[in-house]
Amino acid sequence: MKQGTTTIYPDVSDILARKAEGRREIAARSFGEKIAMVERLRERLAPFKRAREQRREAKSPGAAPDPRR
Amino acid sequence: MGMKQTLDVLNRMETDRIIRRYAIGGAVGAYNYIEPAVTEDLDILVSFDSNPGQIPPGLISLSPVYDYLRGEGYTEFRKEGLVVEGWAVQFLPVASDLDAEALAQAEEVEIRIDPTVGSVRTRVLRAEHLVATALRVNRPRDRIRIMQFLDEQAVDTDALCDVLARHGLKDAWKAFCARTGIADPCEVASNP
Repeated sequence: MKQGTTTIYPDVSDILARKAEGRREIAARSFGEKIAMVERLRERLAPFKRAREQRREAKSPGAAPDPRR
Repeated sequence: MGMKQTLDVLNRMETDRIIRRYAIGGAVGAYNYIEPAVTEDLDILVSFDSNPGQIPPGLISLSPVYDYLRGEGYTEFRKEGLVVEGWAVQFLPVASDLDAEALAQAEEVEIRIDPTVGSVRTRVLRAEHLVATALRVNRPRDRIRIMQFLDEQAVDTDALCDVLARHGLKDAWKAFCARTGIADPCEVASNP
């Protein structure tokens, strides 16, 4: 039975505020800067995408690719 | 290889009259207004010169587009898109009055993606048309995008409400607002 202890969690409001500020900063960038950013992200994410495809392929060999990908 | 080169190809297609006019829509179009989300696809809203006698009215063939691009060496398909310089380009012919208006009113922009390769001119759908189209398609990712436009105040509410009313999307909009728990900005605008 749980005794009357109170768990104290850290205050993360400053972290969330910084993340929100970061999102606003990114949203305010130019169209070209955002495209360049996404192109760099795509390159960095490519290994994860390949790994996901390989996992799916291993689960159901020969199955059609998932249209949501 | 990259978006600059992809847009160069699309601009050449317009110059060569393979397509009449194009504009960027979808997730990449939204980059012009909101925080970007990673995507593999480049949605291109496109119109064609009418070619009387070739195909029945009301039918659109993308064969000239694919024939042209195949001739340029682009043959790889990824999902529904033809890969052009690294981006899976999905050509979406104008299929409604909303599409026609969105393409006609698309914003001309000049973008510089990589300073070393110069800038490129293109067109992007206006925010109100991107939101209206997302509402019409209405997948989870479309609803998230609409919320981003509203949250980041990246769409002119009056212009959006006007587009929604003129294209029969008011009920869908009310349903979206009810589902997401937001006050309907169109109701607020009409009942100050």
